[in-house]
Amino acid sequence: MLTVLIADHDATRATRLEQAFRDQGYAVADVVNSAFELAAAVAAHAPDIIIMGTDSPDRDTLEHLCIATRDCPRPVVMFTQDDASESIRAALKAGVSAYVVDGLDAERIRPILEVARVRFEEHQILLRTAAEAARKTHERNVIDAAKRKLMAHRGLPEDAAYHAMRRAAMSENRRLVEIAESILQQLDQHG
Amino acid sequence: MSNQPNDSHIDVTSSTPENTRRDFLKKSTGILGGAALMSMVAPGVRSGAWAAGSDAPEKTEIKIGFIPLTDCASVVIASVLGFDKKYGIKIMPSKEASWAAVRDKLVNGELDGAHVLYGLIYGVQMGIGGPKKDMANLMTINNNGQAITLSDQLKAKGAVDGVSLARLIKAEPREYTFAQTFPTGTHAMWLYYWLATYGVNPFTEAKVITVPPPQMIANMRVDNMDGFCVGEPWNARAIRDNVGFTAVTTQEIWKDHPEKILGTSADWVAKHPNTARALIMAVLDASRYIDTMSNRTQVAKIIAEKSYVNTDVDSIEGRMHGQYNNGLGKKWQDPNYMKFFNDGKVNFPYLSDGMWFLTQHKRWGLLKSDPDYLAEAQKVNQIKLYTEAATQLKIAVPKSPMRSARLIDGVVWDGKDPKKYANGFKIKA
Repeated sequence: MLTVLIADHDATRATRLEQAFRDQGYAVADVVNSAFELAAAVAAHAPDIIIMGTDSPDRDTLEHLCIATRDCPRPVVMFTQDDASESIRAALKAGVSAYVVDGLDAERIRPILEVARVRFEEHQILLRTAAEAARKTHERNVIDAAKRKLMAHRGLPEDAAYHAMRRAAMSENRRLVEIAESILQQLDQHG
Repeated sequence: MSNQPNDSHIDVTSSTPENTRRDFLKKSTGILGGAALMSMVAPGVRSGAWAAGSDAPEKTEIKIGFIPLTDCASVVIASVLGFDKKYGIKIMPSKEASWAAVRDKLVNGELDGAHVLYGLIYGVQMGIGGPKKDMANLMTINNNGQAITLSDQLKAKGAVDGVSLARLIKAEPREYTFAQTFPTGTHAMWLYYWLATYGVNPFTEAKVITVPPPQMIANMRVDNMDGFCVGEPWNARAIRDNVGFTAVTTQEIWKDHPEKILGTSADWVAKHPNTARALIMAVLDASRYIDTMSNRTQVAKIIAEKSYVNTDVDSIEGRMHGQYNNGLGKKWQDPNYMKFFNDGKVNFPYLSDGMWFLTQHKRWGLLKSDPDYLAEAQKVNQIKLYTEAATQLKIAVPKSPMRSARLIDGVVWDGKDPKKYANGFKIKA
């Protein structure tokens, strides 16, 4: 069962939201009416999804949590009373993991949460892929730089320099990039 | 203007309004020449040239977001008193519930522009914690007029200023909680800077949270927090409501510091350069109006209304007039009250102001590495547009896009070596 956390400064609407989620079979971990309690509630309940109104001033508090963790730790679903098309576009463009619902139509909750979750997971994969790509590029640059250093320093041809590094990595049971980093460090120190 | 193909020569003696305007705009970097030139044309001809010329606003109804705070005044006044009409535009102020909402609506174009925290715009420019998009700062809206409030509980423990607060935190360690208004925003930076000045690391020796301005006082009342940094009228209200006192004003941290700006996206400026210029002119007019002190009571009354700040006039008016009372018995007339114009010194989008926020983002780990400080500030701060608008209004523009100030810790910031400055603080993330 998915656990949701509802944050809404409007207590009446929060109660309606809570009821709607319970009716649809979700566990409502907590209902938070004040921004002050939000961080503690997120930490305490580790909800699967956070539900918040787009017009909530508490969004800035949530923003703080996102920045503190470098990325929103979990999908955020935002509710709005507005005509949804514009707002949905805004949310998707801006928050990526956010999805906006026009009103509180209980029957629409499940598909919407599913969309939010899928989008969030897609976004997480995207982030991981991007981070992985950046890491690989960085590693390749380091390895190339070390290889060039070795070539210049020892007068080795390119493939010999590369093989020397790879042999060292295998015999020391370390990653190639670690060997490259230590080569760069040593050669930088000793000129 | 720059897309006019036929301005290969500049003839200052030309007297047709069209030519004069274009010449003037072309020469906008040599500002005084432009102003002098404009003054040669009769005012009626001038305004006719504006309306009829190719510089007519691309969009006439513009939606400007604001957060209910005293410093939203110039945007509101430009609309309420009709300064916008003079320049062929209609400003529609749009009250927003959170800075995150302002950010999202600027990013997706739902708002044309906004009264917004300086640091927030740079946070979006760098993609800190959220969407990354090229942003624009049309002008600075105000200097000064924020403060740090500490709770009466701290006062009872002897903490009434930076020195005594630091002493208390070291002597009686516990989780001291301080609130600001947005993680990349100005209040976060003033709070961190102030705590660090007295040797308190805001992240390891205190707990920092983000709380919406209207919730600050209620949370302090129930002992949820020890202090907060926020714009007026909330610090004045804390005193009136007997929950806290003003430990320091932000003008004491940095005299004439940049605060809110008129922010939008780079896309929007590229699509609507004439509207942007007209908007700057309307808000400049309003800024000048507000800085005529005899107008401030009326301004306070207008912005206190329900559709704007929605509070009692008294909470706004005193500090707007520079009449300060720190809640500890000290009263003074502050010469560095919240300024909106100050002969245009407030409004110029100094590159050094923009870079400062990046240096603090780097200092506190919001940016993991040094950006190209100058290049980013040059992209964001719309000096060319601002200069064109200011010149048209005969408002002086400074010679240098950098300014220098000595902050409360004695360190001078002049924009010359941002990387060294950002990494030179003893207390940092």
